[in-house]
Amino acid sequence: MKSATENVPSDGQFTLKVEDLWVTYLAERGKVKAVRGVSFTLRPGETLAFIGESGCGKTTLGLSLIRLLPSTAEVEKGHILYRRDTEVMDVLQMNDRELRQFRWKECAMIFQGAQNAFNPVLRIWAQVLDTARSHGVTNKKEIRQRMEDLFRLVQLEPERVLRAYPHQLSGGMRQRVLIALGLLLKPPLVILDEPTTALDILTQRSVIDVLRDIKEKMDFSLILISHDLSLAAELADRVATMYAGKLVEVANVWDTYYHPLHPYTVGLIHAVPTLAGEREELISIPGSPPDLIDPPKGCAFHPRCPYATEKCRTEEPPLIPVAQDHEVACWHWQQVQEDGGQRMMVYSEAKAG
Amino acid sequence: MTTTSLAQSTPSRRFDVLYWLRRLSRNFILRRVLMALAKIYVVITLTFFIVRLMPTNPIEAYVNELIDQYGFTYQEARDQAAALYGIDLEASLWTQYLEYMKNLLHGDLGTSYRSKGTPVAKMIAKFLPWTLFSVGVSLLISFTLGMLLGMIMAYRRGSVLDHVLTTIASIFSSIPNYLVGMMILVFLGVQWKIFPITKMRGAMSPGMKPELSWAFIKDIFYHATMPILTYVLTTIGGWMLAMKSNTINTLGEDYVTVAKARGLKESRIITSYVGRNASLPLFTQLAISIGFIVGGSALIEFIFVYQGVGQLLLNSINYRDYPVMQGVFLVITIAVILANFLAEFVYGWLDPRIRVQ
Amino acid sequence: MSSFWQNVRRTFRLLTYNKVGFIGLLGVIFFILLSFVGPYVVPLDTQTKVDKIYQPPSSEFWLGTDSEGRDIFSQIVHGGKDVLVVAFLAGFISTTIAVLFGSLSALAGGWVDNAIMALADIVLTIPQFPLLAVLAGLVKFNNVTLLALILGVLSWPALTRAIRAQVLSLREREFVEAARALDLGTRHIILKEILPNMMSYIAINLIFAMTAAIYAQVGLVFLGLVPFSGSNWGVMLSLAWTRGAIFYKGSLWYIMAPVAAIALFQLSLVSFTRLLEEIFNPRLRTSV
Repeated sequence: MKSATENVPSDGQFTLKVEDLWVTYLAERGKVKAVRGVSFTLRPGETLAFIGESGCGKTTLGLSLIRLLPSTAEVEKGHILYRRDTEVMDVLQMNDRELRQFRWKECAMIFQGAQNAFNPVLRIWAQVLDTARSHGVTNKKEIRQRMEDLFRLVQLEPERVLRAYPHQLSGGMRQRVLIALGLLLKPPLVILDEPTTALDILTQRSVIDVLRDIKEKMDFSLILISHDLSLAAELADRVATMYAGKLVEVANVWDTYYHPLHPYTVGLIHAVPTLAGEREELISIPGSPPDLIDPPKGCAFHPRCPYATEKCRTEEPPLIPVAQDHEVACWHWQQVQEDGGQRMMVYSEAKAG
Repeated sequence: MTTTSLAQSTPSRRFDVLYWLRRLSRNFILRRVLMALAKIYVVITLTFFIVRLMPTNPIEAYVNELIDQYGFTYQEARDQAAALYGIDLEASLWTQYLEYMKNLLHGDLGTSYRSKGTPVAKMIAKFLPWTLFSVGVSLLISFTLGMLLGMIMAYRRGSVLDHVLTTIASIFSSIPNYLVGMMILVFLGVQWKIFPITKMRGAMSPGMKPELSWAFIKDIFYHATMPILTYVLTTIGGWMLAMKSNTINTLGEDYVTVAKARGLKESRIITSYVGRNASLPLFTQLAISIGFIVGGSALIEFIFVYQGVGQLLLNSINYRDYPVMQGVFLVITIAVILANFLAEFVYGWLDPRIRVQ
Repeated sequence: MSSFWQNVRRTFRLLTYNKVGFIGLLGVIFFILLSFVGPYVVPLDTQTKVDKIYQPPSSEFWLGTDSEGRDIFSQIVHGGKDVLVVAFLAGFISTTIAVLFGSLSALAGGWVDNAIMALADIVLTIPQFPLLAVLAGLVKFNNVTLLALILGVLSWPALTRAIRAQVLSLREREFVEAARALDLGTRHIILKEILPNMMSYIAINLIFAMTAAIYAQVGLVFLGLVPFSGSNWGVMLSLAWTRGAIFYKGSLWYIMAPVAAIALFQLSLVSFTRLLEEIFNPRLRTSV
């Protein structure tokens, strides 16, 4: 492994380290800059959630981690370093065979709304076998044993599910089958992309419970991509907020929800109807998401930000550490800290009428 | 009122019968078998009445022909006609129909009146295998090759290969197959002398004995080359284009992306995930294609002087040999119905969503 | 004036959007002109010229001469009319039946629906060409209209099914709901609401019905099952065949001229459907 393997100093422990990742899509109007220089570190065993409005680039980021971007997309630059034991590989440098082995065995990605995630003409058991055999696991009895355990873990009847065709299972069941299948090869890294969208409330609840349960019982790092902040709050250790293809705030889950320092995060948290709360309507952030073909100059959030000044319109704020486990990309984070994000909340509510 | 009391008197039995009937009616295979049988029955009945009710009723035409040409008396001619068709002309239409159905059930299709006394069933048995052979082999080649090329075109879409294949496919599938056959004869046979057309005529070489030997198999393929080439050329384009668009659609399906994420081998994804799903809709088109090819075999077999059932049909029409005509038509239609049934069966076998509720 | 030219330009641009389709349209126009205007310009050559048998193409005989020394080009010019008329009539009849049956089936539902669908199923099952051949053996289709009628009557089922499915999905849409709420009647719904929305479908299927009619018609004439006489591409094909024109180098033009005429007309029709698809369905335009 010449290029794919690098020796990395053993300072900070990590499972995944993404450095300055840029991804663009080719569209008719021009290049869509979906991910613009994202860097982050995923520590072993931790859960990192990516939150943001739809179209902020979080799904593109997820897909690029296992190089499953559509053919119109291109990784312009960056590194995706994956570490197993002492070996570090750059996912972007892997050849086809290495990449195939990396997928699912090292990093399982569980897609949003698994309604259509299974081949409709094969039984679940056949698809389980397909997955195992592709990674050199051939002992049928062993596979069956492991799969039955996993199905019980996600509260499914193993016998019935293994015999079934996908169309014979409900949406929630299929989602749980995919989650169980994701854990079949004991991957050190799991990516969950919107695991609960397209499910009804009750099913969402049971899927969340299942996820919490397996996270407690098993040892793996988890990347959670979701626009559902309550889901992130329940599962994540740290939360990364994404806006216009960039990370604008990365903090532990407590800080993110109680002391957010980026006005966008403030707006986002404020927009969530609290599960127990009586407020029904969702107060969203005024203005529309940015055009990613021609993103605003300076801080991409400035057109929607009540704190914005001339500096925000011209200079792009870098993501800087401001406290233990807390990074933010805003020129005015101190103001936000001082007023507790009050100005953003008032601004949102005023605009919402 | 009575039904209610009846139902109450034997509730469990009644329930059982209904339950089993419902289960049977949901059974995929049984339903298809019944459908095929119903179609065959309707076609047989239609044929019977069409032939009897036509302005130039073949039986009357035959009676008149016997009287005019051979000086039969009316009674003699009628007896002769009755014997040929295996029906009693004095009987009512209804009795005739029952008689005809009874004969059919015994495999009796009447006797030819050109080849005096030869049973129609025997003639068909002699000609039918060649049509089934040439059409079957063509269908197999064109279906599998078409699917393969269609998938390649989908994976390499936009390439030169894709454009060339698409153009060729569109051209050959829009030209009538008998014209393509003629072009093959004229250019490959006569002008450029690639095929020795007189030697290739017929279904097999003279003196060849049907047996399971390499020589025989080689011989029948040799003689079927030009019909097969024609059928394949004119049908493969349809399969290619359909498979190409299905494959492109399937490639966009979530389960293909997920299969890649699962790290499956590319070969496994191409065959069992993309190929199998993309080919499913083709099986519904297979039924229509079978009917069209078998239907057009009369023209192709005429052009290449190939002794199949189409040729037999044509001869019987030219000689006004009505029993043969009727028999061949029935057999062709039943063959197509059975082939449709088979195609649907395979389709159901490949797609569990149809098979299982 | 300028808006007129703008319109012309816009129409032209729309027509040339799909190159293959535009060539198809030109081909169709060419064959229509050839067959309906051509006969007034080019007289039919009926004179046997023993010294001019199987001549190659020349300035005098554009496509050479036949087995009796007659001009092939003039026969091609005169032989298209019947073929085109039968094709169009058959296509028209089959489309009309299909539109009526299809919408009736979808709108009436119940036993009407079941009966029409069962009938369609049966007609679709019976292989067409053998049925036509057998019918030709029983009844003499000696005129163009009768042949077109038979061809049309046998080729409606596929389109009927498609139209039924389309109507079923269309009638769920708002504007038909609205028409029904206003109690405008079935005929109004079919003519004013459903038909205009299905024009592309119908037009494309009309053309495919025409190609099927040409296939069957020329086939029957070629086999001698339909006793047409006079100049007709099918008759030319049949005569060239029975005179053994395939076997000689010199007679190549005799047999290939009708083959090419029929094949090119079919190709033009099929290519033309691509243009129709794009005009009626603008969503497709970016894809090619």
